[in-house]
Amino acid sequence: MEHPLILLLLIPALGACVLALLPSERPGLIRNAAIAVALLTFVYTLILTSQMNFASAAVQLETSVVWNKQLGTSFSLGVDGLSFPLILLTTVLVLMALLASHMITHHIKGYYLLMLLLEAATLGVFMAQDWGLFYVFWELVLIPLFFLIDRWGGKNRQTAALNFVLYTMGGSIFMLLALLVLFDATPQHSFTFAAMAQGAKGLSTAEQVLIFSGLLIGFGVKIPLFPLHGWLPLAHVEAPSPVSILLSGILLKMGSYGLLRAIDGLPAAALALQGLLFALGVIGLLYGGLLAWRQSDMKKMIAYSSVSHMGVVLIGISTLNVHGMTGAVYQMVAHGLVAGATFMLIGLLYERTHTRDINDYGSLIKVTPRFAFLIILAFVGGVGLPSTAGFVAELHVLIGGFERWSWSIVLLSLGMLITATYSIRTVKQLYTGPVRLDMQQVEDLRPLEMLAAGGLIAGTFLLGFYPEPLLHMVDMSVQQLISRFALETMAQVSGGSL
Amino acid sequence: MPEMMLLLIPGLPLLALVLMVLDRLFGWSKRGDSERFTARLLQAAGGLSLLLVLWADVQYVLAGSRHVVVGSWLHSAMYSVNISFMLDALSLSMATLVGVITLLVTRFSVAYLHREAGFQRFFMVMALFTAAMQLIALSGSALLAFVGWELAGVSSYLLIAYNWQSRTAATNATRAFVTNRIGDAGFLLGIFMAFVLFGTTEWNVMLVTQTDTSSLFIGVVALGFLTAALVKSAQFPFSAWITRALEGPTPSSTVFYGSLMVHAGIFLLLRIHPLLEQAPALQWLLLVLGILTVLYGWLGGMVQTDIKTSLMFATLAQTGLMLVAISFGWYTLVLVHLLLHAVWRAYQFLHSPSFALHTQWQPAPAAPVWLGRQRWLHNAALQRFWLDPLADWLLAKPTLALSQEAQVFDGQILDKLSGAPGPHSSIETLADMQALQQGRLRVESSIGVGSGVFGKLMQWVAEHLEWFENRLLLQQDGGKAKTSLDTLGRYVDKVERLLTQPRYLVLLIMATLVVIFRG
Repeated sequence: MEHPLILLLLIPALGACVLALLPSERPGLIRNAAIAVALLTFVYTLILTSQMNFASAAVQLETSVVWNKQLGTSFSLGVDGLSFPLILLTTVLVLMALLASHMITHHIKGYYLLMLLLEAATLGVFMAQDWGLFYVFWELVLIPLFFLIDRWGGKNRQTAALNFVLYTMGGSIFMLLALLVLFDATPQHSFTFAAMAQGAKGLSTAEQVLIFSGLLIGFGVKIPLFPLHGWLPLAHVEAPSPVSILLSGILLKMGSYGLLRAIDGLPAAALALQGLLFALGVIGLLYGGLLAWRQSDMKKMIAYSSVSHMGVVLIGISTLNVHGMTGAVYQMVAHGLVAGATFMLIGLLYERTHTRDINDYGSLIKVTPRFAFLIILAFVGGVGLPSTAGFVAELHVLIGGFERWSWSIVLLSLGMLITATYSIRTVKQLYTGPVRLDMQQVEDLRPLEMLAAGGLIAGTFLLGFYPEPLLHMVDMSVQQLISRFALETMAQVSGGSL
Repeated sequence: MPEMMLLLIPGLPLLALVLMVLDRLFGWSKRGDSERFTARLLQAAGGLSLLLVLWADVQYVLAGSRHVVVGSWLHSAMYSVNISFMLDALSLSMATLVGVITLLVTRFSVAYLHREAGFQRFFMVMALFTAAMQLIALSGSALLAFVGWELAGVSSYLLIAYNWQSRTAATNATRAFVTNRIGDAGFLLGIFMAFVLFGTTEWNVMLVTQTDTSSLFIGVVALGFLTAALVKSAQFPFSAWITRALEGPTPSSTVFYGSLMVHAGIFLLLRIHPLLEQAPALQWLLLVLGILTVLYGWLGGMVQTDIKTSLMFATLAQTGLMLVAISFGWYTLVLVHLLLHAVWRAYQFLHSPSFALHTQWQPAPAAPVWLGRQRWLHNAALQRFWLDPLADWLLAKPTLALSQEAQVFDGQILDKLSGAPGPHSSIETLADMQALQQGRLRVESSIGVGSGVFGKLMQWVAEHLEWFENRLLLQQDGGKAKTSLDTLGRYVDKVERLLTQPRYLVLLIMATLVVIFRG
């Protein structure tokens, strides 16, 4: 196959088309077909892994077709060490989310179709090598998500969906403006990552900072950064659980991934705004953690915990050194797995008990031992205990952060402490205390659900015990990203821009 | 002989112990057979161990004394600890004594403790004790000797509390163990100072006379080991614990306090005598304490009416004499004295249970007349010179009071500050519990409520953040963004509606025309 990445994009997209042709009165068939497509995508990504050479930082498996000559956009796809782990994560999470989707009982065809479209759009975001294409996929993600939340969500679903789309669109406007300004400064009249990074070199730091701020607002809505996270609790709570899995598992990573690309293109601005990024990371970490601690609604709690965990990613990025950046990428994957597992399990629990208030639960461990086992592991993974992937990530961020920010990195530990507080509190509330008679009939996990949730948790522990493969995957790309700052600082020392 | 075989001397009894424990855990031997199995196992281990010691003896006679390093135990920076053995006249005669006596006492106990409830337990501890004593005797370094020293202390504790159901046994065991810890502190001080001064605790390095080291420091090293030795051998003023230790079964009293462990202190002093010779002040101290112990043992022994206690006081008097001899430098004499005394005392102790029978139940001899005349001395001897109450008053009581105050401080202040959960539960009655189970009653939610200073602080911060979040960012039902957009939409709607009205349309067209014509 000449264009492996286009095929990767096409598998879920074509799968969605096939799904549209299936008769809607046979839900079982539709469900199985969708799962088969997701599985196929996942397997194909695994095959692609063998074609990748992670010892090189270059963009690989490239495909580039000029799209609009006048505008300078091109349909240019490619992957490197930063995007490939996220592509793997996407295919895994979509597969697991579909496996855990049996609670969707109405309009099944539309649901699975949209989920596959969502997968295709997300993969597009991670594969795009052209800012124009990136922006298209970025906006494309919104469409399936809007309908998924709006049609299959909870009581307040309309508000949540509208709120989510408005926030993201609002952010996108700033992103688009920033991209246009940057395009204006690019002499080649091209939107590709490489050309725009080249063009940015000619800009003064002040201009770069301005452009970077626009991108930061656009990506910040998705990450989410502290004052821009208003959509998140509502959307996470109202979305059906499988969509929540994807929301916190992948959608948030789109923001931080975009930020990495922006830093790659605008190193001088990143260096100038380093302190701001750190401050935003710490605020998100503590703010999200404390609010998560105050929630008695479990889904809301996990939603805020996502804000907190993405704070760690931002702190890692703000170090702009190898350890911190590696930690940030590792944390993206780790949080994708952990948050996915947590949302899935809590969602499945909610389907059985129809209450998200943690005060209604008690002593479930005898009734649902398999649930208990996996939920406890998921929370342990969320705290980032050693032997889970989160630990590797946090350790890297801690080391990198200490190199750059010395003792202020102690705030990261404080954030971890808060995470531990609400995680252990939740486990305690769910599984200890007086036996509740009304909770005696709760059904334990079914084999398929066990497979889906267990797979994610196994992944967390695998990456925790044996971090080498993933570290190897991201290492060269992170090195290359960091090398820009070595040049940048040298240029500043010598008193001029390159 | 292969040097690894030396490891088996303490190793064989330990192996026997492990096998006994496994036997108890997995029930290998049948109920009736387990006693025989245990007894044979320990006798075989003790016998083999003794054979190895004898073999080492033969080698010593042929080749002279050696310091054997079997392997490295741990190594950190410039400090290293070896597993090593010292094979000289002192250690080998002690080891032979230990091997013979423990084997004989084990044999004696097979019959003596037959069908006792604690039979297995007793033999396990005996095995541990045998290994510990062999380690003390043969070890080539102070650190390895300390391992044996502590194991001996623990096995002593376990056997004093042999009748653990009895309150006195448990109290006495604790008392003896705690007193022994004073000696352990001294031993640790000695090891620590040896590490600082010599970088190692190997006897062959430590005991060579150092000319360049300050005699004060040498004195501190020696003082540490001296304290350990004095406590273990129950010399004055640490003598009180040993009479309490007689609580255990007779065979254990024999090996521990009659013959072996009580001499471990004397053995240690013999081992470190080169250090003592460099600190003359300590030799004077030894002389004084030795004399005091002799007096204590002699006077105290005269007024005892109980056979085991009398023997114990006699033992103390003898060890006091050994102390005096050490202070004069008569080491060979002390060693011979030690060996003979240990064997003789072991016989006496083992004999003590049937002593009354052999003497046709004669009453104990009364205190001599001259002692009866000295009322105060008689009284003091009867009260064992008030050593126990003195220790209570000086050490135990203040410690107890301090710990009580610390507990009050902990409970009243620290627990409240740190928010440690109290013992109470939120459910008070059974009815509440049932109501809770049926979902009729809801406990007050503890979500987001902290306890302790930090918990409260966290709660306060979190409450404010939550207010901020709800007020400014979410504004329940749609959020701020939606409301402002709604307002904006209403205005746009109004403008739109106005524009569709004909009169405004006409007005607009006319305004446009005016603009065009003016242009």
